[in-house]
Amino acid sequence: MIGKTARRQARLFLSPTVLLLLAFTLFPFLFTIALVFGEARFVGGGLQIEFVGIRNWQRLFHDERFWNALAVTLRIVVLAVSLEYLLGLGLALLLDRKVRGQNVFRVLFIVPMLLTPIAVGYMWRMIFDVGRGPITGILQRLGLSPVGWLTDTSVAIYSIVITDIWQWTPFMFLILYAALQAIPPDYIEAARVDGASGWQVFRRVILPLLAPASIAAILLRVVECFKIVDTIYIMTGGGPGRSTESMTLFAYAIGFRAFDLDYGATIAFSLFLAVLMASMVFVTMTRRLREVRME
Amino acid sequence: MKKNLATIFVYTLLLLWSLVVIAPLFWLVTTSIKDKNDVFLGPKFIPWVDFIPTGQWWVRLFTVEKDAVLYPYLNSLIVAGVSAFLTTILGAMAAYALTRVQFKFGPMKNEDIQFWIVSQRFMPPIVSVFAIFVMYRVTRLLDTHIGLILVYTVFNLPLAVWLMSNFFAQIPRSVEEAAWVDGASLLTTLFRVVVPMVLPSLVATFLFCFVFAWNEFLFALILSYSRTQTVPLLIASQHFQRGPQWWDISALSTLAVLPPIVITIALQKYFVKGLIPIGK
Repeated sequence: MIGKTARRQARLFLSPTVLLLLAFTLFPFLFTIALVFGEARFVGGGLQIEFVGIRNWQRLFHDERFWNALAVTLRIVVLAVSLEYLLGLGLALLLDRKVRGQNVFRVLFIVPMLLTPIAVGYMWRMIFDVGRGPITGILQRLGLSPVGWLTDTSVAIYSIVITDIWQWTPFMFLILYAALQAIPPDYIEAARVDGASGWQVFRRVILPLLAPASIAAILLRVVECFKIVDTIYIMTGGGPGRSTESMTLFAYAIGFRAFDLDYGATIAFSLFLAVLMASMVFVTMTRRLREVRME
Repeated sequence: MKKNLATIFVYTLLLLWSLVVIAPLFWLVTTSIKDKNDVFLGPKFIPWVDFIPTGQWWVRLFTVEKDAVLYPYLNSLIVAGVSAFLTTILGAMAAYALTRVQFKFGPMKNEDIQFWIVSQRFMPPIVSVFAIFVMYRVTRLLDTHIGLILVYTVFNLPLAVWLMSNFFAQIPRSVEEAAWVDGASLLTTLFRVVVPMVLPSLVATFLFCFVFAWNEFLFALILSYSRTQTVPLLIASQHFQRGPQWWDISALSTLAVLPPIVITIALQKYFVKGLIPIGK
């Protein structure tokens, strides 16, 4: 079996990863906590943090811009992730059968999620353009009036959602497709032999078997979608007005444009708390759902 | 008859979504071969029918604007390449240790350590970036390749450890055990026995990490200015400088998405095979 030397070596194998993570995630986390209760000032080459209690948090709670960014982010998360799940599930079901050109479809259905978000944002920025974009062109040829996809305060957020759906439906598809492929065919055959209809097989056999993968995929997407910034940065810059300003973009603007480090960190930290709460709510909900089903 | 209809229905939907995927990319690529007027005078769709394609922007990109364009690509290649390499090696070592030796640090056992590593992926980058910015300012790592490489290595490590733990857990241990009995070290078994068995998976992990580092924007935006400008930064800054000069930036964006597309095609079988463990 494994001797003492190997054990010591194993510790050496593990330590670079652990040390790097400690330096780049645990230390920053603690540092951020210091920032959110302090006032930061650059002095010479270093940084001075003076403790000011909950002043940053009071400011945050009275800041309309914060509540707006939180609402914008939540709307994007809920809309985009739910639609991505439904579309991804549909595509996975469609492709989980003998289909000609399956490999081609599979690559096509996966490709958007690996493309550079800034380039994807730029691409959609052109497509949604009112003067020169293709959508306006098509609408006009059909005799419809153009829509201010990125210039109308009530529409711009949906353009961001559409872009997110285009890029991230592939992620849902990928995980659900892999899960579908892992279902033993006998399960479905057995249900069919027992006289179940197509819908019943889907509702009573496939969907429950997909539950763990669905939960994992949705949770991962929710966490990722909370961080949304790249596409917004290039498509609208948070505008028009502040109608598409997400939490990350807001924290960036305050922290690195206005150079208000402590308040920017407070906004970022509140995003972390929001992500934490959202995942906890999600985990509790699915656990309760499972208990209900058990009874 | 009913079955035929169902087949037609399935193919229609599959082709419809394929169109949804391809149409925007088609727009991006064709815009890079349009003349100014074909961009400014309303949307033109089909090359040779709606407009005469031109390669002038592509030529400019590789001649007049060579320096401005090529440096960011070189930066991205270096940063993404080196960080993906480091992530793969360090991740493989950590995953190997975690799947072969029982650890106990205080109350933390292997599963806890692994969970802690993987869960770091959940931290929004904007939370860590304030501290990293200050850290880099003090240590003069702002706007350096090493700075970006370190950040990307760390932020891909959770993914690499998680993927590779899955790969390593799948291979039988009998061969390694024979080697250990003969007195081989962990280093020898990892690189002589295990790595050759999982080489394709290692390559896949490397390419994943490469793509994520290649695409990353927020850290680059905050931690680099000019010397280490990466491709996403180049596209963003050109967009704000040039406004409606779509042709140039379309060509740049096409160049940016080319490596990920090639990598997706090369890796397609891993996507499904490598991911089946999470489906369970």
